Amino acid sequence: MSESTGANTAKPSSSVKLVLLGEAAVGKSSLVLRFVNNDFQENKEPTIGAAFLTQKCSLPTRTIKFEIWDTAGQERFASLAPMYYRNAQAALVVYDVTKPSSLTKAKHWVAELQRQASPGIVIALVGNKLDLTNDANEAAGEAQPEEGHEPSPADGDEATEETQEEPDASNGDARKVPTREASAYAEEEGLLFFETSAKTGVNVVDVFTAIANAIPESSLKSGRGAGAGTGQTSLSGGRPAEDSRVNLGERGPATAKEGCAC
Amino acid sequence: MESLADTPWDVTISGTGLAQSLLALALSRSGKNVLHVDKNPYYGGPEAAFSLQEAEEWVNRVNNETGDHSFEDASVWRGDGSSEGGTQLSASRAYTLSLSPQLIYARSQLIPTLVSSKVHRQLEFQAVGSWWIHRPGDSGDKRLYRVPGSREDIFADDMLSVKSKRTLMRFIRHIGQTQQSSDEAEGEGSSLEEEVGDVSLTEYLTSKFKVPDELHTPLLSLCLSQASPQQTSAQYAVSRIKRHLTSLGVYGSGFGSLTVKWGGGSEISQVGCRALAVGGGVYVLNTGIKSLSHLAEDSNGEGARIQLSLSNEEVIKTKFVVGSNWDLPTSARSSCDCDRVARSISVVSSSLGSLFPTTAEGGPVPVGAVVAFPGAALGQADDSPPVYILVHSSETGECPTGQCVLYGSVSISGSDGQALIESAVQQLLESAAGPDAKVLWSLRYTQLGRAIGSETGSVQSVNLADRIVRLPPSSLDLAFDDSLIDTVKDAWQAIMGDDAIDHEFMTFEDREGAYEE
Repeated sequence: MSESTGANTAKPSSSVKLVLLGEAAVGKSSLVLRFVNNDFQENKEPTIGAAFLTQKCSLPTRTIKFEIWDTAGQERFASLAPMYYRNAQAALVVYDVTKPSSLTKAKHWVAELQRQASPGIVIALVGNKLDLTNDANEAAGEAQPEEGHEPSPADGDEATEETQEEPDASNGDARKVPTREASAYAEEEGLLFFETSAKTGVNVVDVFTAIANAIPESSLKSGRGAGAGTGQTSLSGGRPAEDSRVNLGERGPATAKEGCAC
Repeated sequence: MESLADTPWDVTISGTGLAQSLLALALSRSGKNVLHVDKNPYYGGPEAAFSLQEAEEWVNRVNNETGDHSFEDASVWRGDGSSEGGTQLSASRAYTLSLSPQLIYARSQLIPTLVSSKVHRQLEFQAVGSWWIHRPGDSGDKRLYRVPGSREDIFADDMLSVKSKRTLMRFIRHIGQTQQSSDEAEGEGSSLEEEVGDVSLTEYLTSKFKVPDELHTPLLSLCLSQASPQQTSAQYAVSRIKRHLTSLGVYGSGFGSLTVKWGGGSEISQVGCRALAVGGGVYVLNTGIKSLSHLAEDSNGEGARIQLSLSNEEVIKTKFVVGSNWDLPTSARSSCDCDRVARSISVVSSSLGSLFPTTAEGGPVPVGAVVAFPGAALGQADDSPPVYILVHSSETGECPTGQCVLYGSVSISGSDGQALIESAVQQLLESAAGPDAKVLWSLRYTQLGRAIGSETGSVQSVNLADRIVRLPPSSLDLAFDDSLIDTVKDAWQAIMGDDAIDHEFMTFEDREGAYEE
């Protein structure tokens, strides 16, 4: 996929830990599968075990390597999430636009993240299964964030909302969560907001690109977590923060590969 | 996954401390059905890391549930923050305070284990640089003295007399040689042990090398002995000083030990648990084992099972149960022969930058330092145990910039030990920080754990009876204790049975989709 197979140039590369949260069956794993493999499986089995995948996202000035943690299948116990969002720089909270209860659950996750995760965590609220609504095609262009600027939650969604003011019931529109409701909530809470379809691919890459753009430079430098100070105290020589990192790959002859320490 | 009771579990692991989490990692590709529960609402057990608020909640839990934790007598002290200006305590989540700030020697078996299991890339390792001794200076005032921990250091030291340098060099060379010969001799029966005999460190240094008294405590600090030089056996000390020396330069110049960013053992625990979660293990926090009973082999050939009642009211069946004493129901516990030590965690309003000099050209900036206070430096008798303070800079991610975290420990438990640590913290601030530096917040507790015997090689293996794998208590050592790896391997072998193939322990390929280049 174009977004992630960017040339391996000398652009700085940073790892970003991203945790995927949301009610069962909203399509969390499908979103990641679309992003990582550009693939979609109809009637995908519930994920057994938690998935861990990585994917690169190439920005003009840097490459972001997402480490994606999927709580897949274990939502019921809510016990993986605390470990996953610890030191995560980004969270993708997913709901299903055809299922209002899933937005309620998503709001719980957002509240928990705001209470427990790193203070600087970037949270994106994502309404998935757009293909089941009448906005399936229009939304593709409209919710697209403008090039080169951080998408504000409401960007483009006003237009989407217009089209869905008068839902055409005869057309089999399964939408139950109005865009406006979710986007207003996202704006209030300072979240990135997208409606996506893992099935058609609409907006999927955009979500990850928007997150990559929204991660503060300072948190990239110091690695994970925004709770800790960034940069180095002057007393330790004023060297960049990366200098405290020990690369286990440095053992023996210098064959350390790029990215080994991540 | 509707109900835990629906699954025939192969293994139920109780507790997410380091031992259980490394076992989780070991079982992550085994194909076994593993249920991993923890009675606590957090990961890490005795190796957890906390924000300030979580630490305060933990204090209540420890004090209210006496006997159910390997901790006692916990308390929090918080400055009033009313003082004008100066650094104030930051928000709760700006801190990640570790109950297990142990340092990891480059030669520890933990490192190759994390590497062969491919989880090291999820961890960020940082260097522990200098060792310091706090002791009275020439003019009677207390001062910090940097322990010459390598040949280069000894050479460059301007405090040592030429004679002392020569003596130290001879001692270090001797240790190096015994290492070589024991390597050649193959096997553990090292010539070192025979040669050192059954004497104290003091006696050994004096009689064999004529090392001057003033160098005894610096050498003691390199082995992180929690007893005085007089009460530390030479065998124990020498093997640990050897470990210190041979670890230098393994992963870069100027340091030999490491710490894990974002909370030490807690990070390693979570990496182990994540690996098992990715491998299909099911995680349930806030859920412990209430009671346990053995079920006989049933008629349809299903092997014998253990029935567990969980605190979330579910009843499950499992072939094996694993846990430390504090993670098993009272009836399944074994007697605990534990030592108690006093520990404290202090957040201070100074970066104490002078403790973290870069120890070699081109080496990483150290984020950790060790400060040892011999008994005498704290007004105690010469043979009283030293206080150690592991100092972590804000680069560890444990506190905000401009502050530092001091992890104090002494082998005297209770208020006497806490008073010694407090005195050591005050002296350290006086010596290494500006006059305004102060403690902003501190957590004090007694920790129970495996006796820090001054004997070597007393590996505690797991206690396996009736398919209950009882893990020994955590080590109270200030450096990661490699016997933990042996413990985990024993537990893994017990569970895997005939499928346990020695060289496959903790050796995995990268998972598909992860870290593809």
